[in-house]
Amino acid sequence: MGSRRSFVRKIVYLVLIAALLMPLYWLSKPATSAVKGEQGSPGGVLAQLRSKDHLSQTQLGQIDPGSVTIKLATLGLRGVAANILWEKANDFKMKKDWANFGATLNQITKVQPNFINVWSNQAWNLSYNISVEFDDFRQRYRWVIKGIEFLMDGMRYNQHQPRLQWDTGWFISHKIGKADEAKQFRKLFREDDDFNGSRPLAERDNWLVGKKWFEETVAMVERGDHILGKGPLLFRSDGPMCQMSYADNLEKDGTFGEVAKNAWAGAGREWQRYGTAEIPTSWKNEDTQTPVVIRLGEQEMHEEAARKLIKQIDAMEPGLREKLKAEKRAALSKAQREALDTPPEKRTGRQQELAFQAEAEVDVTHREVARRLSDKTRKAEALKLAKEAADHEQLASYISRYRDIVNYAYWRQRAQIEQSDGLLAARQIIHRGDQAYAEGDLINARKNYQRGFEGWRKVLDRYPSLVADESANESLTDSIKQYRRVLGQLDEPMPDKFILQDVVDAHLKSQGEEPKKKQEELPDAAK
Amino acid sequence: MVIDPKDVVPFLTWLLPALGSWLLVVMGVCVVVTAFGWLVAAMRHGPIRAFSITSHVFRNAWGDLVRMSPQRIWALARLAIHESIRRRVVVVFGVFIVVLLFAGWFLDPGSVDPARLYLDFVLTATSYLVLLLALFLSSLSLPTDLKNRTMYTVVTKPVRASEIVLGRIVGFMAVGTMLLVVMGAISYVFVERGLAHTHQLSADDLQPVEGSTPGQPATLQGKTSLVHQHRHKVIVTPSGQTSVETEQGHIHALTILKDGDKVSYKLGPAEGMLVARVPVYGKLTFRDRKGQLAAKGVNVGDEWTYRSFIEGGTLAACVWTFEGITPKQFPNGLPVEMNIEVFRTYKGEITKGVPGSLSVRNPSKPDNKPVEVRIFESKEFVPNSQHIPTQFQMPNGKRADLFRDFVDNGRIELWLQCVAPQQYFGAAQADLYLRAQNASFAWNFAKGYFGIWLQMLLIVVLGVLFSTFLSGPVAMLATLGALLGGFFNDFMYRLATGQTYGGGPFESLIRLWTQQNQTSPMEPGLQTTTAKALDQVAEYFLLGMSTILPDFSHFSFADYVACGFNISSDTLLTFTCRALAFALPVFLAAYFCLKNREIGK
Amino acid sequence: MQSETIVETRSLSKVYRDFWGRQKVRALKALDLEVRRGEIFGLLGPNGSGKTTTIKLILGLLFPTSGQALVFGRDATDVTKNQRIGYLPEESYLYRFLNAEETLDFYGRLFDIPRAVRRQRVADLIEMVGLDWAKRRQLKEYSKGMTRRIGLAQALINDPDLVVLDEPTTGLDPIGTREMKDLILKLRDEGKTVLMCSHLLADVQDVCDRIAILYQGELKEMGRVDSLLQIRDVTEIRVAGLNAMAQQEVREVIERNNGHVLQMGNPTTTLEDLFLKIIHESQEHPGRRVRGK
Repeated sequence: MGSRRSFVRKIVYLVLIAALLMPLYWLSKPATSAVKGEQGSPGGVLAQLRSKDHLSQTQLGQIDPGSVTIKLATLGLRGVAANILWEKANDFKMKKDWANFGATLNQITKVQPNFINVWSNQAWNLSYNISVEFDDFRQRYRWVIKGIEFLMDGMRYNQHQPRLQWDTGWFISHKIGKADEAKQFRKLFREDDDFNGSRPLAERDNWLVGKKWFEETVAMVERGDHILGKGPLLFRSDGPMCQMSYADNLEKDGTFGEVAKNAWAGAGREWQRYGTAEIPTSWKNEDTQTPVVIRLGEQEMHEEAARKLIKQIDAMEPGLREKLKAEKRAALSKAQREALDTPPEKRTGRQQELAFQAEAEVDVTHREVARRLSDKTRKAEALKLAKEAADHEQLASYISRYRDIVNYAYWRQRAQIEQSDGLLAARQIIHRGDQAYAEGDLINARKNYQRGFEGWRKVLDRYPSLVADESANESLTDSIKQYRRVLGQLDEPMPDKFILQDVVDAHLKSQGEEPKKKQEELPDAAK
Repeated sequence: MVIDPKDVVPFLTWLLPALGSWLLVVMGVCVVVTAFGWLVAAMRHGPIRAFSITSHVFRNAWGDLVRMSPQRIWALARLAIHESIRRRVVVVFGVFIVVLLFAGWFLDPGSVDPARLYLDFVLTATSYLVLLLALFLSSLSLPTDLKNRTMYTVVTKPVRASEIVLGRIVGFMAVGTMLLVVMGAISYVFVERGLAHTHQLSADDLQPVEGSTPGQPATLQGKTSLVHQHRHKVIVTPSGQTSVETEQGHIHALTILKDGDKVSYKLGPAEGMLVARVPVYGKLTFRDRKGQLAAKGVNVGDEWTYRSFIEGGTLAACVWTFEGITPKQFPNGLPVEMNIEVFRTYKGEITKGVPGSLSVRNPSKPDNKPVEVRIFESKEFVPNSQHIPTQFQMPNGKRADLFRDFVDNGRIELWLQCVAPQQYFGAAQADLYLRAQNASFAWNFAKGYFGIWLQMLLIVVLGVLFSTFLSGPVAMLATLGALLGGFFNDFMYRLATGQTYGGGPFESLIRLWTQQNQTSPMEPGLQTTTAKALDQVAEYFLLGMSTILPDFSHFSFADYVACGFNISSDTLLTFTCRALAFALPVFLAAYFCLKNREIGK
Repeated sequence: MQSETIVETRSLSKVYRDFWGRQKVRALKALDLEVRRGEIFGLLGPNGSGKTTTIKLILGLLFPTSGQALVFGRDATDVTKNQRIGYLPEESYLYRFLNAEETLDFYGRLFDIPRAVRRQRVADLIEMVGLDWAKRRQLKEYSKGMTRRIGLAQALINDPDLVVLDEPTTGLDPIGTREMKDLILKLRDEGKTVLMCSHLLADVQDVCDRIAILYQGELKEMGRVDSLLQIRDVTEIRVAGLNAMAQQEVREVIERNNGHVLQMGNPTTTLEDLFLKIIHESQEHPGRRVRGK
């Protein structure tokens, strides 16, 4: 009796074990690939999830034995292990124990190789936070590179995370190119054979290299990878912007002529291409409920199209629009009308409010014009045109708003202006002046500065917007300060009517100083 | 490297007060234990009888301790060794080898300081393995003997309980020592081999320096080949002098080989990677910006308050007072080495370090101003070497003799000041030292392993103690607890004295459970009151434990070896004494526990 | 007389308590014993009667709850007494990873026996217990009988004056048992005192000079084996080669003298009878000493 019971119990256990194994099988069946006509299986749930999230390392054609051993050794406590290591890393950082800090980071990434934030944050830590702890700029540079190499390590484990490529691009371009020690960093970068490998010297500009990585990011996203935490508008602008910075820095380093011109031309072309990229916006198309897609370069086109359509509508019954407007105006209250008639700068607060309302009220839409056509036969056609015109106008306004975010129009114009021979020549002459000053040749410096300023004057007269453009004339204001010093050393006064006084005023204004009062202190401020 | 100033007290200065307080504590414990024993006996047999029982126990103990036979202890120790080998000590050894084999994956020879990484690794790996082994062996041995009753045949021989305990300790220490020696030797080879490398340098790698006239023999410079992720910058003068820049803490000797017209270069093995610097430490005091004595410098916002900062361009200074400085010890002047941290409040010149100055002053003449001897440029996170010569020109033009004018009775003051206004230098006591002749690295390495040996001793005595009155697994857990408690002693102390965020263990548990942050005050209520009350109890317990348990992490000399500092004989003696001072009472306790245990139960 | 007494217990009692100090078993109740020099003393009793407890108390493996155990006039907890004692535990609790030689050498070292003497004695003892052929083998490979022998050898390593044997014949085959008994007698002949305990009556009867019978922690009977087994009003006649007629004559003679023939034939092991009788009586009248000394 007893043996029978125990036998039954054993059978029950076996069945239970088998039942428990079933879900396990369902969860973790490995994927197989198709071989010789046989169909491969996608594997169990875990295998499918892995391949969906691009976590399976076997598909990379390599398994990192170190990482796998550690994963096994932590027996499913990877999260805990990573946490402890992260704490340890923080402690090492606090105690400035860089050797152990680096080693601990390596361990974390071995434990959690697919956790993007580890790569991203810790690379940032290395390149930005730790590098500044060092007083020697060469050491600082080494740590910036360490952060970049750390990201590149991360790419080996995560082939579908453009975020890492983007960060790499950003570190190489901006951390190296925009740091306080950018001049030294850029030089070190150019000379860094170990990082650049076989890259030819001409291409070893950090901005160009950074641009390559941004382009890679864009290419990956176009292949369907998802980038974490970046909108398409911005990350697509990074590549072309790098080209701008490259051109800008070429001139700062004293390269002019065709090379600089070509660089700017390239920047203009790339900006143009950026303008043709499809950018989904945050607005939804009312009919399809899909995001509205725009191209930054098409604002003018849409505006033109709208203008043409409006012309057609207006041509159907000339004077109708004005008539409608007059009607609406008549319907306004007296106060509103008065507010509207007052020139904007003289309106009181209340009037401004009223005028705003009134303007909205007197606005005549194309649809209204079409609806009021006296020739009813053409009404349908007119309504269709009105809708098209409104759509074009809508798009143009979307584009314009997106353009503002990236300063699209400015950079398009800037690339254009910089290519002009006048500006190139002016910049080059002033650079000669800087060189002469550095060599102590005050006479030549003065001569070159004066000639350069004249060149600048012509450019500024043509493009007045450049006067207050700090980004474009940053080197110019420096040179003006330099010029003052030259004059000072030559015991000459600053000319009463300085040819670029408007630039100086704009500069001082942007510094928050009163132009007239503080003008005399300008040279000292640069000390 | 980070050194607690308390750890560098000379041995003899340390010994007397330490011995005094040790004796006091031991005697105190003895009195308490005796009183307790008497009380227990009095409750069972009446006060008078209890008195004779207590004195009997003491007489017995005296006999058992004084009449221990070395031969019997050795016989028992041999048994313990035999047993350990049966228990597959070899497995631990195998694990060690496997760990070393795979270590290459995780040790990056291209790190900032690869020697440190490698040494840290081997020392840590060895100590983990050896300590775990010591824990298992020592805590499981006696319980197994008791369970198997093999103890019957031992205690019915004229063997004293003290001999059984001591025999176990000696035996396990012998096993551990053998293991440590072998592991140490293998580790040494592993580190040497792991770090050994040289670079290639061909004539093509060298270019004339900028500004040299063509046609003339020029100074050449260039970089070596990339090995272990670094290159060295090399300069060769026309006269054949060479210099190799330090990278990752080491250099290579460069020899020029001439074969007719063909010139080739050969770099030697890495030098200076595995060293044992012998630092002579001074005592650090600070001067504030007005030149007044100050307890500390400025905090520049670092979370870590190990280093204190002084402002440049003011009278602020870090002053180290050295003692026992003799011309015999430093015949060529004082070789100063420093690890100074720099904090800039403005960019200054990017390509240059912040200038600082080193001055000397005679401590016996407080009116004298310090005399500037060296101006240097700051370097961070690498040792900056400066030399103070025996003879130098004073600012007033007079010639000065270091030992005649500035050393008084072996005492001299070194002043570190930052020259650039509004920039800051930061230093701790161990950051500036005089560098005596290097000690042997291999010997220092051995001393590092001796530190593990001391830790092992502590574990073994604790394990044996617990195994005299607990069953095997429980004894093992207790020893593990003591080990962890010992390693986290500092944390326990801070927890017990309320220096940590988030309250005591129970409060923290509630915070963890309810996901509150560490600093917001707890909501008042029964829960909080209970938790705080329990925390009070827990804190007393923790305080007690942190007082009793030795601070294990302090016994590790890994940092010294890894950072390339000689472990001074003072440190060695101090810690040996500390370990013995702990081991002795634990041994006595173990003896009493075993003596009063009924083996036949 | 005093020097004659090797082991003495004075109202020796042992109470086992559990972890909380509560009384669990009264294993031994006020035992008074005396073992004299040169005798073989047997402790007899069923399992759980307190034999082993007594031996452990005498060896100092347990501490008495009250009373005293003295060995060679010293307290049982004094380790120096062990110098002259040899002990063979119930099962041979030996280190299984040592071989015979190492085992004996180890125990020899515990006696501080000088190297040369130790070596000689180890060799002699191995020879004596007949394990010469297996002396290099680890004990874990030994059979039960072999382990028993090496256990005995270790008990004799110090040439003891008092040999304490706990169940010396358990696990031995008939030949082994005989050899053990001969050895015990030989030890006595050498002038050693032997204290043994057993529940195998035949062993005790064969070799013991005196026995004590324990039951449930109490001493029920003690005395010389021969006098204990002598029944004064019973005469046992054993004759060989008597014919039927002669037997009839003997019967008649007995009857004439008012005797009463109980049985004629081969005698039974009377110790067993005694033993069972004592146990029977104890169960009927607990706590009563069956017969005076």
